[in-house]
Amino acid sequence: MSKSSDLIQGTLDLLILNTISLQPEHGWAIAKRIQQVSNEVLQVSQGALYPALHRLEQQGWIKSDWRVTEGGRDAKFYTLTRSGRSQLQKELAQWERLSTAVGLVIRLGASA
Amino acid sequence: MTRLFDILLLRLRSLFGRSSVERELERELSFHIEQQAEENIARGMSSDDAYAAAKRSLGGVAQIQEECRDMRRTNHIETVWNDLRYAVRTLFRAPVFTIIIVLTLALSIGANSAIFSVIQGVLLRPLPYPRPERLVRIYFQSDSQPKFPMNPNDFRDFRERNRTFESVAGMTRHDVQLSGKGADPVMLRGFVVTAGYFSTLGLKPARGRDFTKDDELAERFHLAILSDHLWRGRFSSDPNIIGRTVTLNAETVTIVGVMPPEMQHPGNNFQAVADGDTVDLWMPFFLYESPNDRGSHYLDVIGRLKPGVTAAQANADLSGVLEQLMKEHTGKGWRIYTIPLYQETVGRSQRMLLVLLAAVGLLLLIACVNAANLLLARSSARVREIAVRSALGAARGRIIRQLLTESVVIALAGASLGTLLALGGVRVLVSFLPADFPRASAIRLDATVFAFTMIVALVTGLLFGLAPALTASRTDLQQSLRESGRSTGGSSRQLRLRNVLVIGETGLASVLLIAAGLMLHSFVNLLRAEPGFDPQQVLTASLSLPYQRYRTVPQRVQFYRQLIANLESLPGVRYAGAATDLPWTGYDGNADGYKIEGRSDEYNQKTTARYHSATPDYFRALGISLVSGRFFDGREDPDGPVVIIVNESMANHYWPGESALGKRISFFSRPHEKDWLQIVGIVRDVKDEPTTTSVRNAFWLPHSQHSDRNLLVAVRSSTDPALLANQFRVAVRQLDPELAVADLRTMTQVAHAALSTERFSLFLVGLFALLALILATFGMYGVISYSVNQRMHEFGLRMALGAKPSDLLRLILGQGLTLSVAGAAIGLLCAAGLTRLLGSLLYGVKATDPLTFAGVALLALATTTLACYLPARRAASADPMHSLRSE
Repeated sequence: MSKSSDLIQGTLDLLILNTISLQPEHGWAIAKRIQQVSNEVLQVSQGALYPALHRLEQQGWIKSDWRVTEGGRDAKFYTLTRSGRSQLQKELAQWERLSTAVGLVIRLGASA
Repeated sequence: MTRLFDILLLRLRSLFGRSSVERELERELSFHIEQQAEENIARGMSSDDAYAAAKRSLGGVAQIQEECRDMRRTNHIETVWNDLRYAVRTLFRAPVFTIIIVLTLALSIGANSAIFSVIQGVLLRPLPYPRPERLVRIYFQSDSQPKFPMNPNDFRDFRERNRTFESVAGMTRHDVQLSGKGADPVMLRGFVVTAGYFSTLGLKPARGRDFTKDDELAERFHLAILSDHLWRGRFSSDPNIIGRTVTLNAETVTIVGVMPPEMQHPGNNFQAVADGDTVDLWMPFFLYESPNDRGSHYLDVIGRLKPGVTAAQANADLSGVLEQLMKEHTGKGWRIYTIPLYQETVGRSQRMLLVLLAAVGLLLLIACVNAANLLLARSSARVREIAVRSALGAARGRIIRQLLTESVVIALAGASLGTLLALGGVRVLVSFLPADFPRASAIRLDATVFAFTMIVALVTGLLFGLAPALTASRTDLQQSLRESGRSTGGSSRQLRLRNVLVIGETGLASVLLIAAGLMLHSFVNLLRAEPGFDPQQVLTASLSLPYQRYRTVPQRVQFYRQLIANLESLPGVRYAGAATDLPWTGYDGNADGYKIEGRSDEYNQKTTARYHSATPDYFRALGISLVSGRFFDGREDPDGPVVIIVNESMANHYWPGESALGKRISFFSRPHEKDWLQIVGIVRDVKDEPTTTSVRNAFWLPHSQHSDRNLLVAVRSSTDPALLANQFRVAVRQLDPELAVADLRTMTQVAHAALSTERFSLFLVGLFALLALILATFGMYGVISYSVNQRMHEFGLRMALGAKPSDLLRLILGQGLTLSVAGAAIGLLCAAGLTRLLGSLLYGVKATDPLTFAGVALLALATTTLACYLPARRAASADPMHSLRSE
């Protein structure tokens, strides 16, 4: 596990929101999904995940309820709220802008 | 909207359903671990390994829980509440520490509140009139007179011709005698005021009516408006007071109004009266001078500016009028000086109050440093507790917050106690304030002062809590836990911080001590300075003969001549005299532009002097000695050539290098032979004020040739002058039973009162400096005794290796001395820059007086060395075996 796969500060929120935008998930599944989908590049520090979930819930972007998993266990599932969805759109757009800009700078730097 | 509602619900749940929220979090995390473990088992780990690995990958559960709690914002309220409870419990567990630190803070915060309430009342609170920013004082000014009252005819012209004022009004002091029915007559403090005086201030009578311009006509003079306190006191709040008549100065006067209690005297300069509720009654001013008499100046003038007009614009407007007047009449060298009333009122006290605020602020800073030091010492005793808490998952920020909460709780406790102290302190302060201190009546503890105190407490708490909290929270966990069995545990970083604090404390205390030392030095100078007269064993009083019964000059002269003779025949009385002025009582009769025989008109235009009239033994009664010539002999002929006595300053100023005796001056520009005043005596200089070195030119005319109805009497006794008071009253009553005796006091009391501002500020700054010294000594003791405890083992070793107790003593004293020398040095440097602030408050001492600086340095060194001595002796006298085992 190289250090460079640490999440950029602030992108954890985006990833969480994006992950549960498809369907409600519990914490462990969220961590797992982020890891799988990114081809194991992004490692969510599990210690950081739960505080982030609680923060997002406090901000009203997501809400939680207890459901039964496929394995038959009680787990806390997180669902994206309506305002969470619009927040996700905003953060996605912002991310796009940022990554385009960074890409631009890098390419310009390379061609100079 | 639903989002906000959801958030609210969540927060409420976090706040009130705390335990269920906590349980959920636990379940959530254990679900996570199980899930991870299952995956690990699927990968082929054993069950135990799988769980251990799952827990490792999640990290510290306790820390996650704490972080999650932080994320739920309500946590703040919860933690604050928890922190508070914890802080209070912790503080109760160390009562001695808590009491010491709270008392220290209470003293300094209380002192700050008290001084601030004075500043709030005097400097910050607006003047007690509607739209006070539009009120100004208007003076005449010349090269020799910075603030001169106005001539009434000039005043009338200004009132009519100005374009920048809503209204202007004049006033002049006019005390009157109220004859009681059977009771002793009393002197009332009165002012005659022009129409519009009250409305200029923005006030109306509570009962009856205001004066009108018609009341300024001479025949309407017999009217009066009472102050609220006079009406309530002397007239028992008589509801039918309007229209009642009273006998004032043996004349019948009709009461036309009563002012509300809000009426505050705006202050005046000519025959000054203190501000506040100090005037008993007002009468209408009437003009008896002919329109061309522009020579006598006695009106203090106030004005209310039109909206939007500045004092500078008004000054330009009035200056224009003055130019016209100087063309129309024979004017000379006058200018107009307009100053906002606020500035005029508080100007006198501003510097002193700011010095006091600076002093008390320094004291608070020292208390803060002291508190920080105590907290540091205590936090090293709490290293284990803090280490355990952070091992259990408390984040650093969380620990800092806890420690800061503790210090704020301490500061608030200090502030509450301090406010109680200030409540009493303000009363003491006000009672110590000089009698003529502007706006003393506006001083009280109010909401603003309370808010100030609370803010000071919060800032103080954070200030003295921050450094200890930061240091304490940075402890090395493992080391602290390992060392936990030992009594000590402070790092060298802490000791360094404590050293810095003690140095700072000593430095601040030195600054205060130097300020106090300079003021003490200056005060001693004032007391020692030769005043030019002898205030010991002199009784003084003021008398005012009513015009109705003493219309003629011979009546007045005869009355005083007889009174003086009767007084001088009393046993124990050595001399008795009377004059229009006593030293240091603020009266200022001025003569400007008098002619000196043989000088050019141009030269004579610049002449200026205080002038008085006096009876023969006035000088002997006050102990003003004769330099050459003679005193008045009482045989001066009212119709003969007029003689005068001048002071040394005047004699040397106009006749340098020759005798002034026999020289002549005149009030007239083209004097006839009888208009000349000839100098027959030269007396020693009397300082104008006890607080300055200045002596203005002064001369005296004999009372028999220049009579006055109102004189101040001085009686020199061979015993305690206060014992003469009763005989004095009897002597006056024998001559005129209707006459009131006012201001009966000894000359030492007068001199004492004249120095009251200096005494007041010296007392306070001295008190603050003493407190500062005690705090600094205390801080030094704390640090040294702490470091001695730390090094007991080392000392035991040294002793075992042959060090003598005296070596240890020297070692420890040396350590303390290094700190205090460093502190004192910094203090002296700062003081050299700061004491300039004292500037005009000092008399005969430079702000960098080497004697004071050296003295304070020695004092600081001596006390701090003393503070080191106790711990040093403890170390030196300890049994080395015991010390070695103390590990």
